Amino acid sequence: MRFVLALLALAIAATPLLVGGRYILHIGTMVGIMSTVALSMHLMMRIGQLSFAQVAFMGIGAYASALTSMRLGLPPALAFLLAGLLAAAVAALVGPIFLRIKGVYFVLLTFAFSQIVNLIFQDWTSLFGGNNGLYGIPKMALFGYRLTSVGQYYGLALALAFVTYLAVRAIRSSDIGAVIAALEENEPLGRALGLDALAWRVGIFVVAAFFAGLAGSVYAHYLGFLSPPAFSFWTSVDAIVMNVIGGLATPLGPVIGALLLVPLPELLRDARQFQLLAYAGILIVFLLFFKEGIVGVLGRRRSAAS
Amino acid sequence: MLATTEQIIVNGLLSGLVYVIMALGFTLIFGIMRVVNFAHGELYMVGAFLVLVFYGLLGLNYFVALLLAALLTAALGAVIERILLRPLVGRELSGMIMSLAIAIALQSLALIAFGPAEQSIPRPVSGVWRLGDAVIPLDRALVAGCSLAILVAFHLFLKHSRTGLAMQAVAQDPATASLMGIRPGAIHATAFAIASGLAALAGGLMAPIYTVGPYIGDLPMLKAFVVVILGGLGSVPGAVVGGLLIGLIESAAATFGNNTLALIATFGAVLAIVLVRPSGLMGKAV
Repeated sequence: MRFVLALLALAIAATPLLVGGRYILHIGTMVGIMSTVALSMHLMMRIGQLSFAQVAFMGIGAYASALTSMRLGLPPALAFLLAGLLAAAVAALVGPIFLRIKGVYFVLLTFAFSQIVNLIFQDWTSLFGGNNGLYGIPKMALFGYRLTSVGQYYGLALALAFVTYLAVRAIRSSDIGAVIAALEENEPLGRALGLDALAWRVGIFVVAAFFAGLAGSVYAHYLGFLSPPAFSFWTSVDAIVMNVIGGLATPLGPVIGALLLVPLPELLRDARQFQLLAYAGILIVFLLFFKEGIVGVLGRRRSAAS
Repeated sequence: MLATTEQIIVNGLLSGLVYVIMALGFTLIFGIMRVVNFAHGELYMVGAFLVLVFYGLLGLNYFVALLLAALLTAALGAVIERILLRPLVGRELSGMIMSLAIAIALQSLALIAFGPAEQSIPRPVSGVWRLGDAVIPLDRALVAGCSLAILVAFHLFLKHSRTGLAMQAVAQDPATASLMGIRPGAIHATAFAIASGLAALAGGLMAPIYTVGPYIGDLPMLKAFVVVILGGLGSVPGAVVGGLLIGLIESAAATFGNNTLALIATFGAVLAIVLVRPSGLMGKAV
């Protein structure tokens, strides 16, 4: 079963390369980037927090990578790493304050935080280019090799999504995953056993921000252009929806969610209103009838068969 | 200088009163259902469109149109609560995600029905009124007057009617309330209907002043959000104080400086309040 699954994933990943065409490759690249962001959101949802900050971290990574390579002339590969680290550093700074609070108030805090970050992107025009956008971001270069074609960015985005997936899976199957599950199950007991709940949660927040920052960097160097709406409230909603539809049971859920939802706007291109309606309809059906998402439905099917 | 101060206060109170109406429904839903209703702005938009249809297109009396819009939106709210939110009661995160889905659905339906263009509605009154050195446009005064009347009516309802008292009981302690024979389901539906009606009233009142379009709900939603955190989630007096305060701050910012900076400052204040005093300025301790 596992082997079949891996083969299927490989086949899906190879399809855009085999079919070719800039357009298909572009969608594939966006699926890779959004999978990474959705996985970052996945980590937060696993600790029971709905975070609107992940997309802000993506934005911080994107602008950090763009500006350090444009203004300071940093090699893009270094700027890429820096993007992740800066996002993680900001998360480490605000995490201990934000994560004291759970539930609704955390949602509100991260919402306000991401609004502030987005407003700064919009208003500090001399640095971030404001709503007119930031142009002329250099292409990514790895080991002296410049990535120029869409196919190469597809490979990069795919690699990033895959590494993020492996990292999230490793976290979940390691002792850290067990600690976090224990805290979700029964926090007072966990704390009584000497677990520092806040420190563990901040750790997850920082890791999640790191990957969101990396995704932002790939996004920036791929498009060569940034503007604040890409990191708005609605991108957070997208990442949440990918988790709901894909399912939270395994890290495969958000990836499946991204795979299904990123191409959706392209299918209904000329009819944005129907695209939104379909999007809302799908979300409502999953919230009401398939609480565990696609992964959950497939899992149930499989356990019923055996 | 004195004239400017008066004008700032007048402008602030005029827009603040609408924020109060918007925030009342938002805080009511949070207090009773523990859900951050991301669809609240879309209900404002629905109210504005219904007034456009009844008053602008069918030519009914403005106040009749406003009342019809509020009632229809309230009915829509009750249906939404019963079908979409009731199954998720007690699951905080799912409830919030569902409200996002409702927001997207309402927005897309408005796009399908009316298209993306912003439309304007004739103003029911025009002219200005001079109060000392301050100038009050009559249409804004009408909005403020209606808002005040709605506020008083809401207060009387909450403090003196059986349903209002039952709502407070559910907000305080759902378990005890249901032991006293209050059905939480019915209260949830009523609260969501009233909140939807209030949002529609705010939308309908503002419709002749601004334009009407599918995206007009976003900004009032954001304002309601800030007002309610400032005043305390679930607190009605907090919504009143918070709404007027935000109105005044914005009015001063619009006169003296930069709107975006003012917005950043408000969100900064929100962040600080949630951290230091999550219950808000007027709320009870959590």
